[in-house]
Amino acid sequence: MATSTPITAPQKEFLSGAVEIIPLALGVAIYGLAFGLLASQASMDGLQVGVMGGIVFAGASQIVAAERLVAGAGAFIAIVAGAALNLRLLLITASIRDIYAGRPFWQVVLGAHLTTDENWALILSKRSTGRQVGYWYLIGGGLTLAVVWIVATVAGFYVAHTLPEPRALGMDFAFTAAFIAIARTMWKGAHDLAPWITSFAVVALSIGTGVLDVSFAMVLGGISGAAVAGVLHHE
Amino acid sequence: MSKVWLVILGLTAATFAIRLSGVLLGQRLPQHGRWASALRALPGSLIVALVSVSLLSGGPREWAAGGFAAIAAVLTRSLLFTMGVGIVAIWVFRHYF
Repeated sequence: MATSTPITAPQKEFLSGAVEIIPLALGVAIYGLAFGLLASQASMDGLQVGVMGGIVFAGASQIVAAERLVAGAGAFIAIVAGAALNLRLLLITASIRDIYAGRPFWQVVLGAHLTTDENWALILSKRSTGRQVGYWYLIGGGLTLAVVWIVATVAGFYVAHTLPEPRALGMDFAFTAAFIAIARTMWKGAHDLAPWITSFAVVALSIGTGVLDVSFAMVLGGISGAAVAGVLHHE
Repeated sequence: MSKVWLVILGLTAATFAIRLSGVLLGQRLPQHGRWASALRALPGSLIVALVSVSLLSGGPREWAAGGFAAIAAVLTRSLLFTMGVGIVAIWVFRHYF
């Protein structure tokens, strides 16, 4: 053991990412169990649940697509409903462009696939407190989430009918609270005020007037806030 | 091919295309000036949009629990503590109010 090689910086970052995502991964696990139950109602089998978790790897869109199937919709409608909810992922990956910059293509592909709301938000939060974390931190968090998501969804498929709903436990609010905490660490001062108020106002107007469905309201809110920051342009 | 496999493969292709498009778009936008300012502000705006959607999709109980979570976040800046406060608050409001 005395001759064991010291762990490298990327390995250390990978491990920190894999461990520090655990509180968020617990929330993901609860949703995984709920998705498994829904999948059984959508006449999926255990293999399909596991494969879907690994290759789609976007929980909310899987839930929406399965709900459409349960409601009797066709494949195309289920795909469009799920994909619409995932449009925000385009903004999410665009917003951390430096993380993928200069990487070999296979690492870009892997990194893009493993980027989720949770490890994206966590890396932003760590960076805003001054920590130098990058690609391997994102991958570490993404792999933990992938393992937890696949295991939880498959487990849910077999046992979830014996478990309470996430909502009854207040677990649906876990992510809202987590994102409130992360927003707090990202607040950098008065120049954030106009973009943030814009984002909130656009979402509130879109949902309040019923003009847009929530997937598009979310994307439009994010873009509007960023656009205001671009117009005001503080270097 | 069964309908379920069609949905799985279709959603996989759409989702991966969306994720990769964001990476490619981000790399093509300018590194300085207004576009860069906008892109720097995008993560915060998007987090605010996510929180706004989930709070506004709920009612007064969710708004109150969100308020408690926000106070916890401002006072402690702790992810775990804020999640704990949010879950307890929403559970109490939904069961007793």
